Amino acid sequence: MLQLKGLTRRYGDLVALDDLSFSVAEGQMFGFVGPNGAGKTTAMRIVLGVLEPDAGEVFWRGRPIDEQTRKRIGYMPEERGLYPKMRVRAQLEYLAQLHGLDPPAARRSAGHWIERLGLAERAGDRVEALSLGNQQRVQLAAALVHDPELLVLDEPFSGLDPVGVDVLAGVLQAKTAAGTPVIFSSHQLELVERLCEAVAIINKGRLVASGVVAELRRAGRRRHFQVGVAGAAADWATAVPGARVVDEPAGNGRVLLELDAGTDEQAVLDAARAAGRVTHFSSAEPTLADLFRQAVQA
Amino acid sequence: MTTLDGVRLVARRELVERTRDRSFLISTGVTLLILCAFIVVPKVFFSNRTPTWDIGLVGGGSAALAGPLGQQAPLVGAKVRVRHPADLAAAETGLHDGDLDLAIIDGNQLLAESDPDDQLVALVQAASRTARAQAALAEANLSDQQIQSALAPPPLPLRTREASDPQRKANRAIALPAVFLLYGQLIGYGIMVASGVVEEKSTRVIEVLLAAIRPLQLLAGKIVGVGLVGLLQLLLVGGIGLTVAVSIDAVDLPPGAFATLGLVLAWFLLGYSFYSVLFAVAGAVVSRQEELQNTATPLNLVLVASFLGAISAIGDPNGPIAKVTSFLPPVAPLTMPVRVAGGDAAAWEIVVSVLITLAAIALLVPLSARLYAGAVLRTGARVKLRAAWTASRG
Repeated sequence: MLQLKGLTRRYGDLVALDDLSFSVAEGQMFGFVGPNGAGKTTAMRIVLGVLEPDAGEVFWRGRPIDEQTRKRIGYMPEERGLYPKMRVRAQLEYLAQLHGLDPPAARRSAGHWIERLGLAERAGDRVEALSLGNQQRVQLAAALVHDPELLVLDEPFSGLDPVGVDVLAGVLQAKTAAGTPVIFSSHQLELVERLCEAVAIINKGRLVASGVVAELRRAGRRRHFQVGVAGAAADWATAVPGARVVDEPAGNGRVLLELDAGTDEQAVLDAARAAGRVTHFSSAEPTLADLFRQAVQA
Repeated sequence: MTTLDGVRLVARRELVERTRDRSFLISTGVTLLILCAFIVVPKVFFSNRTPTWDIGLVGGGSAALAGPLGQQAPLVGAKVRVRHPADLAAAETGLHDGDLDLAIIDGNQLLAESDPDDQLVALVQAASRTARAQAALAEANLSDQQIQSALAPPPLPLRTREASDPQRKANRAIALPAVFLLYGQLIGYGIMVASGVVEEKSTRVIEVLLAAIRPLQLLAGKIVGVGLVGLLQLLLVGGIGLTVAVSIDAVDLPPGAFATLGLVLAWFLLGYSFYSVLFAVAGAVVSRQEELQNTATPLNLVLVASFLGAISAIGDPNGPIAKVTSFLPPVAPLTMPVRVAGGDAAAWEIVVSVLITLAAIALLVPLSARLYAGAVLRTGARVKLRAAWTASRG
């Protein structure tokens, strides 16, 4: 289990992380989401020891992360990092050795990931000669080449075409299936929802919500209602006190309402009936995107 | 994996990648060419090769000069070939065609095509004086032996206060290419360290590296690796240059040439150790190659000034500037080899200079390493040294 405990980091007056704590279980696919500048990259850099926290600690399997355990983490930084002039195979072997593999093991592992990620034909090319998509594959291979116990990936899906997304998702799922936890940050919330068992949502350096996605959605259920009203004015819902329109699905005329804390759903139903003939009224699970918006706006 | 393993891996990557790069071959070739030019060109154009003069003797009055010319030519370091053109016209043709350098007409007139060599004229005038004196003494009924002792007294012996050492001059001459080579390597490989650091920052590969190893391992590995490339290049350039020069016998190498190469290698190591860590800091505080010019300029200026100091030390190896700067760490790696090559530095001076330089390196390395570690992960605006110092906690 990876545990972040009370991480705090300031840059001058700016508080990038404010007492951030959450944990990632063994074998879990964990999404790390938040708006730009929320502190995701800072948190990941601290996990990798690239950055020192002002306060707080990171634990891996119950012990504070030190230099030796850090070598067993696979890391993909936000802005990709490879030597542009170095050849793919040489670069992967070098990075594997830096992480402690002996030369034969490094050669085997580099060869394995070059095959697995479809880079065999480009293995002798300089990284700068590759397409951006292929560079991203090399970057992924660089994070995987030392067979890490934990993967920390900063925006691994950004800039990938749909095929690349599938390849990457397949590799990550195989890793979690083998027991290796994967934590990655992303703006693509549908993707996070599809892939991740658990998430942490942060905003302005603070944790807003974290846990298993299914539980978070169930917890949000009491507050989201899907309502269909026939014969009402298009904007009837905006007039309901204590409720907000989250989503307006086209076609069936139903709207998704989010109720403020303390608002009685019966009052909403009364308002709906006053507006027209109620054809549908049900509690709904919010999507991750709904939870995210809710968290960020709070 | 130990700390040293990390350093060794980084150093090996630098060595392999940089020597495989085509620019390494190119810069080695160019340096070799420049070095050869330094050795060969002065020999070809400015050497004191024995000049050979063709002198035509025309008319009976000139014949008496043949003997004195032959005797006196070696005294001015020249060789004389005496020719006998049939008449004045033949001598003029010979002068015109370049077969003759000078003609003596009837023992009382000199004829040249245009401005003759001053030394040649002086030689002929002296020979003429001797011939006339010989004739006058013979008329006064002196014996040949008496004439001989009057006209060719034994030369005055020359005594120098310092032991005369012709090799020393030659060794001083070879100090010039040595200083050029040292200066070029120090500035070239210093910049290579700096731009290597910036490359890792600008491509963000630094984050991947520092997630695996510590900043000090990366810094040490880079400096050692690049330094080995520089040393290898010096060995190649110096070794090939000297070997080729010796084997084709193109030039007379001064006997100190190989010792001077060793001197250059040793002072490259000292100078590179001193400057490379500073160049690493210059690279660590910026994020893009274009900004490197600003931070590396002070170091470049110090190196240029040291180079000029060393050049002046060649001319005056025991002057106050040369003596003082051969103990100042930034300048010593360039001026001290000059004084050592020419045999101008006393043993104690060399020892003290090396010790001071080593002490400066020992002081500089931890300071620079701390600044490097504090700055190397910061991107964006140029990192102030004070911020780098406080950001790095040890």
